[in-house]
Amino acid sequence: MNRDYKTSACSEFEALLEDSVSGEIGGQDAVRLSQHLKGCAGCREALEYVALTPRLLRLAEPSADPGPGFARDVMARIRSDKDIRAEKSFWQPLVSMGWRFAATATLALALLVAYDSTSHVQQGVAGTLALEAAHIPDVFSPDPARVPASRDEVLMMVAENEHGNR
Amino acid sequence: MPDVPKNVAASASSVAIPLARRTKGEEERALVRLAQNGTEAAFEELIRRHQQRVFALVGSILRRREDVEDVAQQVFLKVFVSIKRFDLRSAFSTWLYKITVNECWDYLRKKKVRPLVYEADLSEEQVSRLDGIVSADRPVTGASEQAEVKETLDWLLEKLPEQDQQLLILKEMEGFSVQELAEILDLNVNTVKVRLFRARSRLMDVYRRRTNPGTTVKADAARAERKS
Repeated sequence: MNRDYKTSACSEFEALLEDSVSGEIGGQDAVRLSQHLKGCAGCREALEYVALTPRLLRLAEPSADPGPGFARDVMARIRSDKDIRAEKSFWQPLVSMGWRFAATATLALALLVAYDSTSHVQQGVAGTLALEAAHIPDVFSPDPARVPASRDEVLMMVAENEHGNR
Repeated sequence: MPDVPKNVAASASSVAIPLARRTKGEEERALVRLAQNGTEAAFEELIRRHQQRVFALVGSILRRREDVEDVAQQVFLKVFVSIKRFDLRSAFSTWLYKITVNECWDYLRKKKVRPLVYEADLSEEQVSRLDGIVSADRPVTGASEQAEVKETLDWLLEKLPEQDQQLLILKEMEGFSVQELAEILDLNVNTVKVRLFRARSRLMDVYRRRTNPGTTVKADAARAERKS
């Protein structure tokens, strides 16, 4: 028995062998296969090996028909889904209006926040400039230390200048 | 007009040829058109016509009875929602079965479950009874024997790769044609035939191993030959 299972079918004839085992072969194909089988022990063995499978598999009954109740159940589900969709579509305009309102409000809020933060930045810059300006020395004003406080000091400064010129 | 309900036939008055004079294919196309125009009775009729095969297809992939009905319902809900987009270029059944296969894989992916796996081994009695039925070529009699045969076959099939199981169940148990299988699985007809033939051979390997445990089956012999 073991010897029978050593060889396998020729790959180019497997489709025809399947036709043969399932009883769906005829005409030229049947002639071609039968001629090949005469000279090919491998294909003969392979065909014999699987010949039992249709009988074996057809012992089991096919799936039972689920009956008319199934179609009714499906239609009931379809109708209930339709009702849900219809209910949704009644509220749909309000819902979409609500979404639009929310979107507009969010946009307006975002613009306000952006504007607010921009003006704060501008104010901050102005303040900083004012502070910095307060610390810059006035080079055009005379040095208060160099301003004469009395007549004697004026005379002293004139004398110094004259001395320097000489 | 044996299979078409009166309300569907009445709705068909807008279509040029009455349903009664049509071939099965034309009749189905007329039903699809009516369903696309919103005739619920036409859609219900389409469900009735295809529910058994959809159940068979779902069952061949999921193998869990309790999930089969849920997934089959989901399939028809999807079909109802998208039937307006169906362009009638292929057969309605092909389109429906493709949706069914995709829905099954989606379901398995979402649930993160594998198709049913039989952990328990078969008893010697079960195996010898099945072998007796097959050898004697006698029909299965009675509900209990049918249930036992189904369990034994399920066990044998479960030992095969998933695609082999599916092909064998749909072809041999549920009566799908090779052409239909090729369309459903997006495969070439020849490829389906070759895969079916190899699946049969693998099934016989499992069957022989179980019925004659001492036997070296074809796969073992081929493996031994390759090694030597």
